[in-house]
Amino acid sequence: MSLRTSISPPAVAQNQIQDAPSRHHMWQRISPYVYIGPAVIYLIIFMIIPVVQGVQLSFTKTPLVRPDGGTGVGLENYSRLLSSPQFYNSLGATILYTAATVIFAVAIGGGAALLLNQAFKGRTIVRAIITLPWAVPTVATALIFSWIFNRSDGVLNEVVGVLGVGQQGWLVDPKFGMAAVVLTSVWKVMPLVMLVVLASLQSIPSELYEATRMDGAGALETFKAVTWPHIAPTVRVVTLLMTIWSIRRFEIIYLLTGGGPVDSTNTLVVNVYRQAFSNQELGRAAAIGALGLVLSLLVTVVYFMLERRNAAKEA
Amino acid sequence: MTKLSLRNISKRFGDTRVIDDFSAEVDSGEFLVLLGASGSGKSTLLRIIAGLTDASSGDVIFDNLRVNRQSPRERDVAFVFQSYALYPHLTVRDNIAFPLALDKFKGWHHIPGISMVARRVFGAGKDISERVAKVSAMLDLDEYAARKPGGLSGGQRQRVALARALIRNPSMFLLDEPLSNLDAKLRAELRGEIVRLHRLTGKTFIYVTHDQVEAMTMATQIVILHNGEVQQHATPQEIYAKPANTYVARFIGSPPMNLMNATVEDGFPTLGNLRLPAPDGIRLQGGTVTAGLRPEHLTVSADTGGRGLPGTVRRIEDLGADTLIGVQPDPALNLNMWELNQDELIWIRQEGQTRLFAGDACTIELEAQFASYFNSRTGMNLASSEQTSGAGVLPLRG
Repeated sequence: MSLRTSISPPAVAQNQIQDAPSRHHMWQRISPYVYIGPAVIYLIIFMIIPVVQGVQLSFTKTPLVRPDGGTGVGLENYSRLLSSPQFYNSLGATILYTAATVIFAVAIGGGAALLLNQAFKGRTIVRAIITLPWAVPTVATALIFSWIFNRSDGVLNEVVGVLGVGQQGWLVDPKFGMAAVVLTSVWKVMPLVMLVVLASLQSIPSELYEATRMDGAGALETFKAVTWPHIAPTVRVVTLLMTIWSIRRFEIIYLLTGGGPVDSTNTLVVNVYRQAFSNQELGRAAAIGALGLVLSLLVTVVYFMLERRNAAKEA
Repeated sequence: MTKLSLRNISKRFGDTRVIDDFSAEVDSGEFLVLLGASGSGKSTLLRIIAGLTDASSGDVIFDNLRVNRQSPRERDVAFVFQSYALYPHLTVRDNIAFPLALDKFKGWHHIPGISMVARRVFGAGKDISERVAKVSAMLDLDEYAARKPGGLSGGQRQRVALARALIRNPSMFLLDEPLSNLDAKLRAELRGEIVRLHRLTGKTFIYVTHDQVEAMTMATQIVILHNGEVQQHATPQEIYAKPANTYVARFIGSPPMNLMNATVEDGFPTLGNLRLPAPDGIRLQGGTVTAGLRPEHLTVSADTGGRGLPGTVRRIEDLGADTLIGVQPDPALNLNMWELNQDELIWIRQEGQTRLFAGDACTIELEAQFASYFNSRTGMNLASSEQTSGAGVLPLRG
């Protein structure tokens, strides 16, 4: 008892203690809002408002020449879209293009990363060369490939000519249009996959590889036990990004084929552009855009559901 | 049971020589500690024994077989890493079972779907699950079996790593600073654990550390490395009592051995007016010799007229059970303290507490029979065999 009294503070009632004024504390409370403020304003002006306006537009019949002069038509744009085979063709093209681009880009980029993670002479130079396509502007890429695929004097036809195959219309033959667009896109985006996966590979502690050597694991076992579990989250994120970017990709497709041949590469985004500027139907274009947005959101939702399941499994 | 011979091992990385002509024999069942400061080449040496790194030249011999060309797995040794190197996505149980399950895996088992079934079947198999259970029990890991390494503390992780090494029943255990990432209390605990495992298995242990306490408490043999060269290979007791050179004398012991510059007079090493007994079997002629005395072989008293080295108390470190007293010797003695010790104080260990205070004048008394003597030019112990080859006559300085 006596010990306790001797170390207890002077008797001050609890309700007499007040917080000392602190500018630091004040700043701590408001600083998060100050920091995210500009980004929020930017997002509202350039993302939220246009999206809302776009959705509004999709309920109207608006000619391109008088963007303000639309007349409300309710759900007509949507009902016409959902009953038109052209829309489903466009949706199919989007899914085919996205799936093919993502699968090849991730597979080739991931494979390149695995190869470049090995130590060999000239690795830095090879890495730089492989990264190059990412640095080339998209329009330039499309132009380069439109020359490569050119029917009369393109490089590709020169090559297949040597092989004894006749000249092909790579960009005008419905058999090849989608393949040509996918090839170009993969060439362009694969380096990003490679860089991201490579960075992830390089963060794997070397002791883990040494542990598998001590345990006598072969290349496949090592990949499954060490490499894949480490890079899987990165691969998942890069796959998500690639998917969303592919759904949204415009320049490469439009510059190479303009959505043709015979609408075979008429993805939703290209379709939006054509409805808006060729058919001059802003309302219908906006409806396609809104449905495309739903598709992107769907992909994101699926991704986050998978992530949550994985996290639950980890715990 | 494996006897390990290392013959003329050298390792260079580019122009940097990490290990220089290292040779050693390690008897079966020995607990050898490779002790050295960072950059001494000790980890590289361990990795060469394991087969994780190739030597630039020299042979690694297990019993009578040269294993230079064998893979780590073929050498049948286990390696415990400083950073544990557990497989983060596998449970504790699967981490431990991993080496055994690997042995059973065939190429076609990797086909997706089949691999999952195969892993279940092997993991649940009687021999593997029994061995995992046995090893887990040995290291108190039972209750963590279903957890992943991310959910374990450092000490628990290192136990899992030890279990993974144990389960293969290898011929030799190689441990690379396994306790360095742990706090002091856990380190002491796991030290005991590792010594127990050594006794239990009777296998050869090679243990790399920079911590002299680990070396002294665990080893049956210690090799002290410095700049890729062996300084001394002996038992812990011998290394402590008879350091082969001044590097070892200063590396082992906390505080380390006090080195003093002694003048040779009439064949006797002399500190100030204190004549020390001549080292056994060595005739000294003029010049100087370095005398070394451990802190516990010195006493200090406030009596300034006594027979000993005069000085001034500068530091007092009370450790509870005993007290370390740092005394600055009288500069007139010319003991060359700074150059020999990188410390200007002579440290004395005294049981219990002292009555001295910093600033007091004092006298240091020596238990001179425990003194070691080193060549003041080469730093080599005069009593060690390499140095007596010069007909027992010391090559003198000055």
